[in-house]
Amino acid sequence: MKSKFIKIFIVILLIILTLSFNSSYQSLSISNIAFVVSMAIDTSTTNNLKVTFQFTKPSSVSENGSSDSDSSIVNSVEASSISSAINLMNAYVGKELSLSHCKLIVFSEEFAKNGISDEIFTLMNDNQVRPSTNIVVSKCTAKSYIENSKPIFEPLITKYYEGYTNSSSYTGYTTDATIGRFFNNMNCDTCEPFAILGGINSESKASDSTVPSEKDSNIKSNESAITGSLRSENIGLAVFKDDTLVGELTAIENLAFLCTRNQIDGFLISVPSPNDENKSIDIYLTPQKNTKIKASIVNGSPYINLEYTFTGRIYSMSSDSDYLNNDILTEVSDVCNSYLESVFSAFLYKTAKEFNSDIVGIGKHILSSFETSSDFEEYDWSQNYKNSFFNVNVQSNVKSGFLLM
Amino acid sequence: MPDTKISTKEAIMLIISIIIAHTIVTLPATLLKNSKSGILVNIVYVSILALLFAFILYRLFKNFQSQDIFDISDYLGGPFLKNLIGIIFIIYFISSSGILLRNFAEGLKVIYFPNTNILFIILSFIITICITNSLSFRSNIKVISIILPFVIVSIFFLFIGNLPSFSFERVLPILGEGFFNTFVVGTGNIIAFSGISCLYIIPPLLKKPEDFKKIALTGIAISALYLILCVSTLLFMFSFFLKVDEILPLYTAASYIEYGSFFQRLDSIFLLIWMLEICCYLTITSKFSSIIFKKITNLKYQKPLTFVFPLLIFSVALLPKTVAISKLLGNILYRFISLSVVFCLGFVILLLANIKKLHYNRKHKEGNQ
Amino acid sequence: MILGDTSLENEEKENNFILKNDKVFSSIDVNLEFIKTKYNTLINSDIVLRDFIINARGKQYKAFILYIDGMINSEILNDFILKPLMLRNKSNLYDNDQTRVISEAVTNNVTVRKVKKFNLPDYLKSCLIPQNSIKEKENFSDLFSGINSGNCALFVDTLPIAFDIEVKGFNQRSVEKPNNEIVIKGPHEAFVENIRTNTSLLRRIVNNEHLIIENIEVGKITKTKCALCYIKDLTNTDLIAEVRFRLNNLQIDSLLSTGQLEQLITDTNDLAVPQTLSTERPDKSASYLLEGRVVVLVNGNPYALILPSVFIDFLKSPDDRNLKPPFANFALAIRFLGTFITLLLPGIYIAITSFHQEFLPTELLFSILASRENVPFPIIVEILIMEISFELIREAGLRVPSPIGPTIGIVGAIIIGQAAVSAGIVSPILIIIVAITGIASFTIPDFSFGFHIRLYRFLFTFLGYIAGSLGIALGIFVYLSMLCDIKSFGIPYMTGVSPLDSSKGHGYFIPQIWKREDRTAFLDPQKMKKQDKISMKWKGE
Repeated sequence: MKSKFIKIFIVILLIILTLSFNSSYQSLSISNIAFVVSMAIDTSTTNNLKVTFQFTKPSSVSENGSSDSDSSIVNSVEASSISSAINLMNAYVGKELSLSHCKLIVFSEEFAKNGISDEIFTLMNDNQVRPSTNIVVSKCTAKSYIENSKPIFEPLITKYYEGYTNSSSYTGYTTDATIGRFFNNMNCDTCEPFAILGGINSESKASDSTVPSEKDSNIKSNESAITGSLRSENIGLAVFKDDTLVGELTAIENLAFLCTRNQIDGFLISVPSPNDENKSIDIYLTPQKNTKIKASIVNGSPYINLEYTFTGRIYSMSSDSDYLNNDILTEVSDVCNSYLESVFSAFLYKTAKEFNSDIVGIGKHILSSFETSSDFEEYDWSQNYKNSFFNVNVQSNVKSGFLLM
Repeated sequence: MPDTKISTKEAIMLIISIIIAHTIVTLPATLLKNSKSGILVNIVYVSILALLFAFILYRLFKNFQSQDIFDISDYLGGPFLKNLIGIIFIIYFISSSGILLRNFAEGLKVIYFPNTNILFIILSFIITICITNSLSFRSNIKVISIILPFVIVSIFFLFIGNLPSFSFERVLPILGEGFFNTFVVGTGNIIAFSGISCLYIIPPLLKKPEDFKKIALTGIAISALYLILCVSTLLFMFSFFLKVDEILPLYTAASYIEYGSFFQRLDSIFLLIWMLEICCYLTITSKFSSIIFKKITNLKYQKPLTFVFPLLIFSVALLPKTVAISKLLGNILYRFISLSVVFCLGFVILLLANIKKLHYNRKHKEGNQ
Repeated sequence: MILGDTSLENEEKENNFILKNDKVFSSIDVNLEFIKTKYNTLINSDIVLRDFIINARGKQYKAFILYIDGMINSEILNDFILKPLMLRNKSNLYDNDQTRVISEAVTNNVTVRKVKKFNLPDYLKSCLIPQNSIKEKENFSDLFSGINSGNCALFVDTLPIAFDIEVKGFNQRSVEKPNNEIVIKGPHEAFVENIRTNTSLLRRIVNNEHLIIENIEVGKITKTKCALCYIKDLTNTDLIAEVRFRLNNLQIDSLLSTGQLEQLITDTNDLAVPQTLSTERPDKSASYLLEGRVVVLVNGNPYALILPSVFIDFLKSPDDRNLKPPFANFALAIRFLGTFITLLLPGIYIAITSFHQEFLPTELLFSILASRENVPFPIIVEILIMEISFELIREAGLRVPSPIGPTIGIVGAIIIGQAAVSAGIVSPILIIIVAITGIASFTIPDFSFGFHIRLYRFLFTFLGYIAGSLGIALGIFVYLSMLCDIKSFGIPYMTGVSPLDSSKGHGYFIPQIWKREDRTAFLDPQKMKKQDKISMKWKGE
């Protein structure tokens, strides 16, 4: 009798538990969820913001046939906040939106200039959002940015987004900026957040022909000279101060940024030829050591000493080049050093004077000059960064060419 | 069969698992908030204090072979004191595990079960402990020694997986809020080693009582290493724990781990392991409560008790109305109770009992002469 | 007396009657009547009573033999029992004095002759019946158990005893290849139904006089012979005593198989975990014997029970020790993986797809979504459909006649899977999940352990469905706790897994051959070392 009671009790308990967890099951089950692939946030004329969601049709993968323009669906909604936008979209598509596979979050330049702190906090509050989601600031409207990002090699858009910033480690023209790091840097006393600078290439808006810059590497998104079927591009960096967009970096500045943060495996750079002013040599440089950063406070303003070390090989070849000659190599190295020094210090002063935003995170090197955290807080690094002096020292060692000497 | 007693290694694991359970929920973030970047120094300092404390405990227990705090308080002040101490310890175990469970369940609710009432999440844990509490103490210990290695490995993975995104400079300024804050105010961080609480209870349960010193010191030392690992992961990785509260800080760290584009968001594996760890902790506390209760009431049958203590934990877990209250309880009340029960009360009882014994021995000697 | 209709009371009375009249009568007619009643010879067709007259030293005695047709070798019976007893020959015609002089001594001119009186039983035994195994029995019960197992009984008038002569000769299976436990590098012999053959197989391998094979009869009606085998100076005596105690205290009518015996002598059957190894391989049994365990054989069953057994034993194969350790350990790792997959894969799949989609790589998620596009059921139903139909196929494969058995397994699985996918009932990914689970379940060497895991798989599927990883975590915790709580003959079931230091001499993974110095420590055998510290002496110098 007693055991019967216990059995019945257990069964009832199981049923109750099943029912109670079932509602969560219903809402989280794979069939009831629409997975957002990317999200774009624009300013809106009628409401606070305009959120655009990009979905992908799963069927486009299952059949190995053609997967063309139809594979992604783009829907927009205007709302007062991101959450209410998601809510409206839930009602519209009839499924619950999940951001767990959202690969890209795009803010329009205009929107980012007004501060995106609320949006970032809201997104990070959602446990579904991956910290590795890339964050982009687009020069055009965010919506048109994701409308124009159509993969050319992969059938699936998510695959394109995953390999989106792969090139950063060997070109240095773009950065793997994620929302997790953005959030982290936003709440950090010693660093400032940054995002990928996105845009649509010139072909799509042929009317405003940008001034072609004197160097290939001075480009950035929206101003590049690339044409092709993939119209969105991500070159350069968007610099934030706290949560507001304060400026942009070009490709070469982005390269300097990555070098200082030790996030690059190697890069190609054109330096003016030592012999001929009009010619330039392409050198492939790889960092030999991590950048040494020493920071101290001199007379109340930060004095920062940076030391870069590279080894390089020469890419560009001509019939009269002779790179077995040590003197020539030293000459090239020297040119390279002085060129890089100018580039790096230009970059650093730009961040300090123009943006007053320590995106590199030099602040953490200055921590050692303070005894307690409250001392550091009193010093207020984020305001004092603009007074910094930089002493850049580049040691590059150009060795030879590749196959040809 | 000698299979009812616990071996030295298992006793060490017992101590560690109590500490780990707290680190999973709120402990590292609380510590971090208290001492800022001075936390590493602080933890080393506090660990040394805890080691000293454990060593003193060992010296104090040495005069009472294989007796626990209740036997000793019985010796000191008769059955009344014994019952009082027993009840205080039961309250300590029940309240700390109840609040811990509540905080963890809140995290789970946010992460996985948005539409489920928190009652049911807690209930499913309680059912689990009811079942395991009805099994033998030995089997509980064995399960812990199966699960604990996985938990420790998970923390190692957490540390190693996040290594690329560490910035070690965050440890500076090394004294954080200053000397006073780190070494005087920070002494309170010794509550991180609340695993010491089981040192008061295990002596009669040990297979080799002479290993008590080894158990105490190794347990504390490993816990200290573990704690350093946890806290440094959070410290080196995130800047926002100093400003923003997270519901399960280590979970956040777990979700940042990525190995290529394929292995991302491994947090559900970590959480699965940590749920097992929480179960271990709850099993220990409810089992200890049963053991203490049996001891102070001289009960012959332990069976009816199996459901009482899990249900008490259940009710404590349901007490806080909001997350804010449960967090507050977790941070402040837990700190207070731990400090007063584990580090003061037990210590004082032991000290007095030793004095009494010394006195008695002297008298005895004089009487003999 | 008709057995079938008797009420319990009658049966008891009859039992009493038997107990009271257990002694063999000296009058042959009474014996004959008694046996006729006992064996119901009027209706029992295979009981044969053959009466004849014995010639012994010129005298004639009435006699009869009793045997069961079909269980004896009639050639032996004719040539070595009936012929010497009935035919007149020199030996039994000898009619000198009825006495025989053993010794003669002359003292004081008086010849003192020590003579031996003529003793018929002795004479019969030593002179007349040239058969190897012959025993005098005073009790009917002893006699009958001999007859029931294929001996024949010889009753001679005037003697209050009877002879139990072994003339066994029933048809039985010869020793064959093992069917269910196949190894690559190892002997290919399996136990058969006959217990003597089985004990001989064991003895041949152990090859030592310390191997003790005790006989214990279990079952009031069947009196099934069980053999308790152990090695005298190795095995823990407490363990032997415990097994003997349990075997001797089984109040049951019949024992038909080792499977029943296993359930009868294990501590608990709650969790449906097998707690004794059951094997058809004599070499496996012998290797466990030599480790200090006990083996129990049951007559009529080609399986041996190895006691006590712990969790890790069920994942080991007899081949492991024959292979080089890296191969064996790889296989062991695969088997562990197989167990893990069988138990948890469906549960994890449903937990991930229902609660933790973020865990999946995006491409995988979308391919799961795409594959589920046309599926009308929720995942749990889908999983249950496939898992249950998989179990159906497996069960059907066992039941159908052997020539088409294998075909129904493979063909059924493929066809049903293919058809279910193209009909849009289940998704192809799920078929893969179920198929992997199914294949993984075959890696478990022990049948009943595999069954146990397959059963619990459904539980974990359900838990994963209810609460995702929370359900699975709690399930694992309770499951492990319960496993830790079980004991097999006083040995904790998880020994070798949980207190890690308990794995001495018997860890999950196999050490190098020169490191296998210890016997299984948790059995506490009488001798711990099984090889010298330096076992390969030839390597020295």
